[in-house]
Amino acid sequence: MPYALRLPKKFKQWKVKIRDRETVEPPHVTALRKTQAWRIDLRTGEFMDSEPDPGEVPEALVKLIKSEAVWQALREQWDSMYPHNPIESEEESEEESNE
Amino acid sequence: MSEPLVVVEENHGLAAHFGATKPVSASSPEQLHAAMNKFAHGAVWVARAGPILKWLAVIDPRAKTPHRLLLIGSPKGPERAFLRAVFESVVVPDDEMKMLGFDELFEVLGSARRANLLVGGAVAPAAKSVVLIRGDLTSLVVPFSWFVARTNERPKPNFSAFEIVDFGQTIKLGDYEAAVEAVLYEFDAEFRKQERKRRISVDKSLGGALRRLRLQRGLSRADFPGITAKTIARIERGEVKEPHGDTLGIIAEKLGVKPEEIITF
Repeated sequence: MPYALRLPKKFKQWKVKIRDRETVEPPHVTALRKTQAWRIDLRTGEFMDSEPDPGEVPEALVKLIKSEAVWQALREQWDSMYPHNPIESEEESEEESNE
Repeated sequence: MSEPLVVVEENHGLAAHFGATKPVSASSPEQLHAAMNKFAHGAVWVARAGPILKWLAVIDPRAKTPHRLLLIGSPKGPERAFLRAVFESVVVPDDEMKMLGFDELFEVLGSARRANLLVGGAVAPAAKSVVLIRGDLTSLVVPFSWFVARTNERPKPNFSAFEIVDFGQTIKLGDYEAAVEAVLYEFDAEFRKQERKRRISVDKSLGGALRRLRLQRGLSRADFPGITAKTIARIERGEVKEPHGDTLGIIAEKLGVKPEEIITF
């Protein structure tokens, strides 16, 4: 079952979710509106793609996604759904300890 | 730029559903013939069965065309065979082919990125495969094995409950959902090329591509027979820019791709 945010009515055209099968690198959450999708990197908080224009996502929705509790829940959910590529990758920390 | 969209009908009822997209309208045999010639390299066609059969008979087509057709209506077997002889592909929504609802379907067909969206599909249990129909009416076959549940706690895909949702962006198999973008990323090199162009920040090196593909396959650095995890890490970090051909061959085999394909991920 995907992890989908419950959104206020004002965002009725939008869905924000992490599906059971995604491209796994980088970890991300997807905001969908009709035929378009915007991906937000769960490590950096940045939009991953230049198209469609990230400016088309309402600021209030971005703020909601990045609010502390929601953001934490998204990151935890990603880790539980994709344990082979968690947000805090063990591979990254191996590289840091090797430096 | 996506291919042209041509709507064949006797009035403009269908064309009106596409809203701002304004497809090319063919509402006579002459207009149909003109559109076939104008878009000689191929177009996506949407037609009601009655008019297109009637008007194609008038223009007497002989050769198969590079056009792809979505048919509204259910012609009989011989008429379907005729259309399949004329069009490169013919998609007919029926009991076997699950399609988007009309509102979402027209939205997808009218989208500039329709090729990266789905309009429908079918499950072929005997072949353990799912056939996906893209918005440009080409098809993609994905094996059941691709739809994995990542952990035991996650729902497993239910192939008897197949649907396309989210305006062609998600494949739903019961409670399990897969991003269409994830399918295209793994199965379509052209999609990967487009995706790299629109990524704001991506490591386009061989090492970066290897890491992405390895993670997509759910593999660790230690999963490559005869190659140490340290070597894989060095390749991924760019410390080895051109791995030995044999090494790349082993890596590619484990990843299920040709060596020259790794860089495209």
